[in-house]
Amino acid sequence: MSNIMIGMAAIIGTLLIYIGSLNVYRRLRSPITLPVLVSTITVSLLLLVSDIPYDTYMKGGAWIDWFLGPAVVALAYPLYKQRAILKRFMFLIVSSVTVGAVIGVSSGILLLKWADFEPSIIYSLVPKNATTPVAMPVAQSLGGVPSLAAVFVIFAGIVGAVLVPSVFKWMRITHFLGKGIGMGTASHAIGTSKAMENSEREGAVSTVAMILCAIIISLISPFLVFLLL
Amino acid sequence: MKMLTIGLHIAIVTMFYYIGMWIQRVGDLFIPGSIIGMMLLFVALLTNLMEVTWIDKGSDLLVTHLPLLFIPVTVGVIQYLDVLAGKGMLLLVIVLVSTILVAVTSGAFSQFIVHQKEKHYE
Repeated sequence: MSNIMIGMAAIIGTLLIYIGSLNVYRRLRSPITLPVLVSTITVSLLLLVSDIPYDTYMKGGAWIDWFLGPAVVALAYPLYKQRAILKRFMFLIVSSVTVGAVIGVSSGILLLKWADFEPSIIYSLVPKNATTPVAMPVAQSLGGVPSLAAVFVIFAGIVGAVLVPSVFKWMRITHFLGKGIGMGTASHAIGTSKAMENSEREGAVSTVAMILCAIIISLISPFLVFLLL
Repeated sequence: MKMLTIGLHIAIVTMFYYIGMWIQRVGDLFIPGSIIGMMLLFVALLTNLMEVTWIDKGSDLLVTHLPLLFIPVTVGVIQYLDVLAGKGMLLLVIVLVSTILVAVTSGAFSQFIVHQKEKHYE
């Protein structure tokens, strides 16, 4: 099969699985039926079962992936619509995100050190709460593996979207500022897409938290690695 | 007509993406180009250099279907199944614990401060 055919099949297949997962989510709204999770598992299983390498899938997947860049830019729109809230709570958001980012990086380093993992894995895991395009170069500059870093980032995102809402309920974190800040700081854009589902202002707060968290993590990671490792 | 509007909006947003990527490359910045592009678009909207009606329909579509755009990257996990097997499972547990810690501390901290302030005003 030619590359174009493979690419088209990958794009159409991914789209159909995504639409299917949206229908499942509409009928059965639960953390474990979240479209990102269901689609990822379905596509992964299909590739594994039919023995299709990831690189082959990405001939089409890369086209979908490309739109992630403009989509991140498009987050400026909900941000703009919620500008009044952002202006009012800017200081609160900055201080809370800093608390979360420091705890995320240090707890990662300390837990990995305790579990006795090698440094290259530790460096790859350090920036997990930053968004992928920031986490990959941060991991690389520390001495980690960028693509492995991306795996941890994605897992942090899925954990946020799937488990964190229940944890928030249990911990009585119900205010939109608390939920939005927590989600954006811990789970970047995957968490933000979940927060956006709850309310637009929660999504906007989460977007700001995500951006700040990425910037703060890239600044504090080298320092905390030096200090704790 | 609606399709055309959406296409045009996405094209404008994409232009900001390329400007952001260019600034990142030229300035050798650690902030990703997409984030720079978002901040530029946000500032352009705030300063009325850009009308929100030039980008709203297309932006809405992209933001609503963010989960779709993540699928190709997230599927990349299948390349690392061997790293995550055995002791590697512990890595996922550590990411899980640490990520929940981040969400709870930053969330609880901000909510605590908001409630303190609200008490103050009463």
